Amino acid sequence: MVFNSLEFFIFLFIVFILYWFLFKKSVKKQNILLLIASYVFYGWWDWRFLSLIILSTTVDYFVGIMIDSNNKSSKRKLWLWCSVAFNVGLLGFFKYYNFFVDSWIDMFSLFGYNMGSTWTLKVILPVGISFYTFQTMSYSFDIYYKKLKPTKDYLSFAAFVSFFPQLVAGPIERATNLLSQIITKRTFSYNQSVSGLKLILWGLFKKVVIADALAPIVNDIFANYSDYSASTLIMGVTLFSFQIYGDFSGYSDIAIGTAKLFGIELMSNFKFPYFSRNIAEFWRRWHISLSTWFRYYIYIPLGGSHHSKWISLKNITIVFLVSGFWHGANWTYIFWGALHALAFIPVFLIGKNKIYKDSIVGENRLFPSIVEVFKIIKVFSLVTFSWIFFRSESIMDAFNFIYKIITDFSFETYLHPKGYRMIDYYVLLIVFVLYEYIIRKDERTPFKFKSKFTRFVIYTLIIFTMLLFYDSSIDRSFIYFQF
Amino acid sequence: MKKFFFKSGLYVILILLTLEILVRVTHLSKDNPTRFVDEFNVEKWEPNQKGHSVTGNRLQNFSEFNINNSGYNSYREFVPSIDKVELALVGDSFIQGFHQNYYNSIGKKIEDRLEGIEVYEYGYAGYDLADQLHLIHAYKETFDKIDHVVIGLKFDDDLIRKEYKLVQDRMHLESPFYKKIRSIKLLVYTQNIGVLDPLWKLAGKLSSIGKKNKVLLKRTETKNDIKEKYITYIENFKSLIKKYGFDKNRFTFLLDTNVTPQIFLNYLKDNNFKYIDTYVALNSSKKPTTLIYDMHWNNHGRDIIADIIINYYKLL
Repeated sequence: MVFNSLEFFIFLFIVFILYWFLFKKSVKKQNILLLIASYVFYGWWDWRFLSLIILSTTVDYFVGIMIDSNNKSSKRKLWLWCSVAFNVGLLGFFKYYNFFVDSWIDMFSLFGYNMGSTWTLKVILPVGISFYTFQTMSYSFDIYYKKLKPTKDYLSFAAFVSFFPQLVAGPIERATNLLSQIITKRTFSYNQSVSGLKLILWGLFKKVVIADALAPIVNDIFANYSDYSASTLIMGVTLFSFQIYGDFSGYSDIAIGTAKLFGIELMSNFKFPYFSRNIAEFWRRWHISLSTWFRYYIYIPLGGSHHSKWISLKNITIVFLVSGFWHGANWTYIFWGALHALAFIPVFLIGKNKIYKDSIVGENRLFPSIVEVFKIIKVFSLVTFSWIFFRSESIMDAFNFIYKIITDFSFETYLHPKGYRMIDYYVLLIVFVLYEYIIRKDERTPFKFKSKFTRFVIYTLIIFTMLLFYDSSIDRSFIYFQF
Repeated sequence: MKKFFFKSGLYVILILLTLEILVRVTHLSKDNPTRFVDEFNVEKWEPNQKGHSVTGNRLQNFSEFNINNSGYNSYREFVPSIDKVELALVGDSFIQGFHQNYYNSIGKKIEDRLEGIEVYEYGYAGYDLADQLHLIHAYKETFDKIDHVVIGLKFDDDLIRKEYKLVQDRMHLESPFYKKIRSIKLLVYTQNIGVLDPLWKLAGKLSSIGKKNKVLLKRTETKNDIKEKYITYIENFKSLIKKYGFDKNRFTFLLDTNVTPQIFLNYLKDNNFKYIDTYVALNSSKKPTTLIYDMHWNNHGRDIIADIIINYYKLL
């Protein structure tokens, strides 16, 4: 069941009614409802994979108790490693097994040994496995670092692991935030629910209008890159920048908005990353829940930046490579991570990785300064360049794509594969960027206008534009489901 | 909670009303001309209607139609006489031409290129050979005055019936309920672009709950199935010709030999039925001949069809 489907909205309405009307007096009953709803939501894809969530939930539930009940550091560590081994093992088998086998075979073939690929398995990647395994692991980590006490309430813990708004594509929540809300009584708040509906609307706009409308163009250009001129290829990867942003941040907005309807606040996952003035700021604004996960559970335990420069650089590189590899079992993602590490390290070395920590572009001004505009363009270009690796089917395709841009530079008019006017998309993106700039101060209130009439006009225009760019023939699933 | 539901409901109603106005103002939705069944039991459009047809989203294809006195989309009236030279094109949506402006149709293109001829386009979406021959038969007096008649024929679609009967499903669309529904332009628009498809699918699923679960597996056609189908269709063809008559001197089929089985083509040849082939000319075109989003001929495709008919006509 995907957010942008009719089934989801019927499902959401039913769960909402039951949650606030039938079960509002009991947190336990509300949590049981959330758990059942989450399992129905997930089982809609493939009920067999529910067993993996239940298994992961059970393992970390007991690991949490065991870590807490042991005072000896070595035993606590051993239990923590049990959680890590189990969850990473799950990921390794379902997501990376074939990749490792194939890479192993490729490596041997470099030395002239030809091994048949008989060890690869036909494994289906369970939706959202990378997200919920990281979420359950964070629970064990937090107990290990004594930031959290384990819960004895298995049902609430299971509801935390499988909370349907963020189950399949995040935000990856830490138990300190989400579990604490799940075990406490929630009361209906008009303002919170209205704010949730607004975020759902804005998320749907980003998904249906920005991501889905651009998808056929991007798919066409990346699938047939050898037939297109450099200008078209540049346009293709630029549009992909918007597509993936619309897709993933749209999903996050719908997830946060849906959670609000149940009285739960999820963490922000995107804060207008394309308005970043350096790459460090970009990573503070893009997929925030994953970045913070890596910071808390990999970068800091490795020593963070409190040791020598060399150790810090090593830690940064590890985090970016692991982050790339987390996205998928393909060298393209690892390369993408490596590129970001290369871009981040100089900023870190000159000590400018924190300069934009607490500010936004055009702070206290209507327009950004010329310098800021240039910085934004520079970061956007760099990120867009890295998307070539992220989006390409293979590392060779990515290099050929870049090679074509460099060696065969020419301009041509691109025609939409389905015959639509391209000018519609250019205008749409310009308006979208301008609107995002207007609302850049707060990612959680996309319609912060005092006048009710202005808000009404914007809601109507957003829905109207969603209709205008609706295409029933395309695959409407979210890109990050595959991770 | 009450406030939440009340305000949400109010917003939904106001937004829907505003969207209805926006769809009307921007002409995003097509006009649906009214159908009727005339005194000869022929289904056609109610005469003298004007409007526009829209295909795809964001006015991807926007065209005007003009239903004439005879109930067909054409810039001209159909008034044949023995003093003039007339050509009739009888067919389905390809001849009806709602995908083009009515003043830029195949018939108009032929008239522009062939001096002194009047072309009457009897096109109606969904017509098969039974509809077409019944029409010619019912309006015998009119068609007898027309010098030549070109009849569109798609073997796979047009020979399913062996006699003409009014297609009730299409006429149900003229019930007061459907007319009311069609007057809501937002509904027509969202239906056309596929927004409502999931709703219909869900309704279908819900309505099938409790009913015996029939597993409908699409069986691959065997050679025998295909042979049987060909035989049935050829028998239907014979039956239609026998029932409604066919003037082999004046009537010619317009068909695509690439999608017509050889056995039928041989039958036509052996029995002196004339046909114009569209395949070679359309297939050899370097430019696309159909619209991007559906299979109907685009302007270039219609140019080619007009030329094929003109060339054939000149040889007569």
